[in-house]
Amino acid sequence: MSQNIDNEKPINIAIIGLGGQGVITLTKLIANVSFGLGKKVCYNEIHGLSQRGGSVQSLLRINEAENPVFAAKDADYIIGLEKLETLRYLYLAKGSTAKVIITNKYLIRPTSDLGYEQFPDEDAIMLEIKKHSSELYLFDALGFEENTKTKFKPLNVAVFSAITTFQELGLPTNKAENLVNEYLGRNMIIRQINKKAFKDGSKWLRKLE
Amino acid sequence: MTSVNNAGDNEEIHTKETQLLMGNRAVVQGLLEAKVGLTTAYPGTPSTEIQMQLYKLSNKGQLYFEFSVNEKVALEIAAASALSGVRSAVIMKHVGLNVASDPLMALAYFGVVGGMVLVVVDDPGCLSSQNEQDSRFWGKFSHLPILEPSTSQEVKDTIVKAFELSERYNSVFIVRLTNYTSLNTSEVEKNVVEEKMNKDGEFFKDVRYIVPARYVYHKELHGKIKAIRADKEFLGFNELRYSDSKSNKLIVTQGSIFPMVEYTRNFGKLDIAILKVSAIHPLSEEQLCEIIKNYKYIYFVEELESYLEDEISAIIAKNNLNVKIIGKEKLRIPQENKITPDVLLEPFTLIAADPDDENTFRYEEIPQLPFEPVIGREDLLLPRTLPRLCDGCSHRGAFYSIKRATSVSTHILPSDIGCYALGQVSPIEVGDFWLCMGASIGTAIGFSLTNNKPVIAIIGDGTFFHAGIPPLIDAVLYNHNITVAILNNRLTAMTGGQPTPSSNEDSSQNQTPVDIEELVKAIGVKWVKSVRVEDVKENTKLVREAMDFEGPSVMIFNGECVVELYKHDFDLGEPPYVDQEICNHCGICFIEFDCPSIVKVEGRIEIKEETCSACNICVNVCPQEAIIPRKK
Ligand SMILES: Cc1ncc(C[n+]2csc(CCOP(=O)(O)OP(=O)(O)O)c2C)c(N)n1
Ligand code: SF4
Repeated sequence: MSQNIDNEKPINIAIIGLGGQGVITLTKLIANVSFGLGKKVCYNEIHGLSQRGGSVQSLLRINEAENPVFAAKDADYIIGLEKLETLRYLYLAKGSTAKVIITNKYLIRPTSDLGYEQFPDEDAIMLEIKKHSSELYLFDALGFEENTKTKFKPLNVAVFSAITTFQELGLPTNKAENLVNEYLGRNMIIRQINKKAFKDGSKWLRKLE
Repeated sequence: MTSVNNAGDNEEIHTKETQLLMGNRAVVQGLLEAKVGLTTAYPGTPSTEIQMQLYKLSNKGQLYFEFSVNEKVALEIAAASALSGVRSAVIMKHVGLNVASDPLMALAYFGVVGGMVLVVVDDPGCLSSQNEQDSRFWGKFSHLPILEPSTSQEVKDTIVKAFELSERYNSVFIVRLTNYTSLNTSEVEKNVVEEKMNKDGEFFKDVRYIVPARYVYHKELHGKIKAIRADKEFLGFNELRYSDSKSNKLIVTQGSIFPMVEYTRNFGKLDIAILKVSAIHPLSEEQLCEIIKNYKYIYFVEELESYLEDEISAIIAKNNLNVKIIGKEKLRIPQENKITPDVLLEPFTLIAADPDDENTFRYEEIPQLPFEPVIGREDLLLPRTLPRLCDGCSHRGAFYSIKRATSVSTHILPSDIGCYALGQVSPIEVGDFWLCMGASIGTAIGFSLTNNKPVIAIIGDGTFFHAGIPPLIDAVLYNHNITVAILNNRLTAMTGGQPTPSSNEDSSQNQTPVDIEELVKAIGVKWVKSVRVEDVKENTKLVREAMDFEGPSVMIFNGECVVELYKHDFDLGEPPYVDQEICNHCGICFIEFDCPSIVKVEGRIEIKEETCSACNICVNVCPQEAIIPRKK
């Protein structure tokens, strides 16, 4: 019941993004592959109200059954679907060992020219992210989305596919793929798009030196 | 933005007989395993998933569920069910219990026949609420027992057990969750449940329900609480963990934050026992003293108010236990906001330190013990992403018309609880005030009586039905000079799109939608107009006309919640475009109308196709008619 002090060490993952990007679905996918392998898993979701585009975070722990909420500097992985939001939660990363995976999406919508919210430019954000992450990976979301000709672009499924390439996470590709094929999507068209997104999702990931 | 939340209706993914379940979903599993016959609720985050799941099951015919018109009605329906011998449950958020407290306090005196469980979900940190009141206090106030589980498995087990206890003591049981327990997902063992729950009961009339001298039942109630206080099973919800620890320190905490307390204990490698109190009310002096007397230092770690600390300190004093109490204030645990492991790190360094050393609790002297006391969170000064009305929200059209007809200095606009509350902030600034559900109309009356300014109440359809009708009757009765703008999207949008009485939803339940216009007219309002939000120019005139009318006037703005539209279709049509030849950069569309999809790029006004929901309201907003719609 209690914490896994003696068993396998927990893997702590923070998944960060904006409403509508599929943060929770991505979390569920990772959680359920692990759970299906008989591991202990728990996760939480934190989001504000119903409105579109709000900040969404989810904390996920593999090899831990009860408490998904971990402390700052205890995340082994940060998966950020949007740059500014990722930077906001980078303090969660375990200093020298955490792997940070970000997409090149910058979705913050500028408010009207009233000057009460100033948004940093993309280069400044990137610089800051680099400064604070020891091992950084970039998922080319813009490339993926341009390449996906349909209006529905399941970035989360593509990122999920890329995440399975991290061996230490223990997410077998076939199991992950089955989950995507079986459980995602309301209709056939969406299922096909998801399937394809998973098939070539990982090719959009590269390590930044 | 493309909607990607497509995990088939958010159904949890089955992989084995045990399942990962969100705390809220574990509530539903518990209700089914307890064979609950009747369930009611009023929408409120963070209890939403319980309600939506029950709603779905009721549409499939598995049990009776309804979204009642407000929490008071929800509780009354559930009460009558339980008094008829049918197990019932009522679900609400913490502030809902304020509304439902009137029948609850009286029901406590009668007790119930069939089991009745009230699930109340608190929102520490006010992530989706107007306050963060701590529902644990209801226990003492109402003399009703409260249980507070930690994990999804415990949530389910607690619900099942609460029904048994409820029937054993003929008492309503309160199960308190928080946004931590309700939104966390962890493993739950599911038992098979019946396909159809039974809600056939019989109400046995009894003088106890009609006699006026109810102090007799007050006495009976005190007796019940005393009996529950001694119930082994009830007390079994409290647990001493790590009792083999060698330390003479004991941490006392509550069920809802226990997993985080345990995590922080282990993170800091502290060998200290933890008393997890899940049976919040009533507390057993005997049980607590038996445990506490074995320790020398008692530390209280709680979320929100120092409830256990105050209660248990009194017990310690009464029983002359020779222990030192170290409370929240000394440990610097805030009385407000959510508890997270981050918040607990510093207090835990203090717990690890020597409690007899005078310097330990002095502010300057944070002891350097097992782990870093203060974590270096980089202060990056990032802009906050404040919630805003969605692109394409119909409320924006209503706001624009109201804004054109009023001004900040000459009008008072009391607003209410719902998405439209977001219209209060700059640059929309329609709404000056909000209190609690339905208060816009009551306060509008008060403002109009005391200020020489026109007053417009802004209220959603959900909130109007919930608590806005009585004050409108007051306005008619006394001919109060107010205007009421009812923003009718036929949904409780703020909480995730539950139906309201004006919804035209197809569900298996035989609903008869209530027509707001008819209702308002029947109350006796003489000036009533029902309009579409898109007709901004015409609506601006009507708002002025409504304000000129002597006596109460009501304007109903009809439109759709775009989040709801996206649930059915991820493509809402082609966005309009700005004809750069005609646009004179007046800024009305992106400042006054405040659509996030209208942006200024190098001096040009453009519409961001990626985020635009093609509501086309801006087409009517532009005074130059420079925004040109495209066909869907
Ligand atoms: C007493 C109480 N119950 C429930 C809630 C949760 N709640 C927040 S806003 C809202 C209603 C929103 O519906 P509506 O007025 O139709 O406005 P909309 O969000 O659709 O614009 C509810 C039920 C609350 N704040 N207070
Ligand atoms: S959720 Fe619906 S009602 Fe709320 S802001 Fe968005 S579109 Fe408007």
